[in-house]
Amino acid sequence: MKRKLAIAGLIIATIVCLPVAGSRARGDDFDAVVKAIEQFYHVKHQSIPLLARVGMKGAKTVARIRGGDYKRLAEAGSIRLVFFEDQEFNSRGQIARFKASMQSTLNENWSPLIATLSAKDEEQTYIYLRDAGAKFHVLVVTIERREATVVEATVAPDILAMLMKDPGEMGKALTDDATINEAETRP
Amino acid sequence: MKTLFQTSLKIASVMLLLFGGAAITAHAQSAKLQMDQLDVLANKASETVDVKLDERLMQTTARIFSDKDDVEIRNLLKGVKGIYVKSFSFEKEGEYTQTEVESVRSQLRGSAWSKIVSVNSRKDGDNVEVYLMMQGDQIEGLAVISAEPKEFTVVNIVGPVNLEKLSKLEGQFGVPDLGLDQPKPKKK
Repeated sequence: MKRKLAIAGLIIATIVCLPVAGSRARGDDFDAVVKAIEQFYHVKHQSIPLLARVGMKGAKTVARIRGGDYKRLAEAGSIRLVFFEDQEFNSRGQIARFKASMQSTLNENWSPLIATLSAKDEEQTYIYLRDAGAKFHVLVVTIERREATVVEATVAPDILAMLMKDPGEMGKALTDDATINEAETRP
Repeated sequence: MKTLFQTSLKIASVMLLLFGGAAITAHAQSAKLQMDQLDVLANKASETVDVKLDERLMQTTARIFSDKDDVEIRNLLKGVKGIYVKSFSFEKEGEYTQTEVESVRSQLRGSAWSKIVSVNSRKDGDNVEVYLMMQGDQIEGLAVISAEPKEFTVVNIVGPVNLEKLSKLEGQFGVPDLGLDQPKPKKK
């Protein structure tokens, strides 16, 4: 009986700890951005999305990315992902202050590519790029009224070229790709 | 959000494409305008777009667009030190003031900058100004201020870019298909 309880406890502990693995603290800019969001909006992040949501996003991505069948955007195993779900993101008229805090949070190695904000709708998207030798790191922060996503991924130059040609889709495509990867790596 | 992205990028792209015809050559760090003071307008704007293609990012474009199909893009962006766009759309008039406009315009009053275009529409309230920074015969930078009753946009290009070829970017980088014709060769 004790052995069964121990195994059950181990399984529960593993499940509980899984979300942390997706966003484990590495003391870098990704964590700093997540913390900046949490501090400004008084929210807490989650790391495992609902499977139903994952399926929905996967379908969207397939439809969105042109040029044939679905193509993996990020390098395998390179994605870091954090969700904020069903929480209030209210800038209280200070959306510009949050934008400034994002900029100051990231170190100078990150180049801001584009930021779009809608104070009325509480919608924000930020895309940053960082040189990573032969490849590039892309950081995408998407905030809406009730949810937010932070994604960091490593992409090859040809993928980045494809994304930059359609920057309007860049943030969404990478976020969706990250979500699919998360789902596929789980049993 | 998709709409916001696309609409906003169209604005930025159109602003760039409007001023085709001149080949801009520059080495102009000083042509970069200070625009961060405008960020506070985001609190009142219904839509804000901030595009920053800084020098470091521009330096990597040769690596990003290494495919043989990207040779035109590579040539177009070669040498450009930066492309910066800030655009604010408002739901009603009077949400931004001349103070914000003047904070940019005052930087363009130096001897290095020349206003080459100024369009004022009393009927629509539109006001577009185009400035070039020259050094000798060379152009070192471009600045555009577009102040409409419900929209305020500033575009700043630093470094050389052949604006005549910008039409080749149509359909890419969020540039809409504007139906711009390629320059026709002169008849002999």
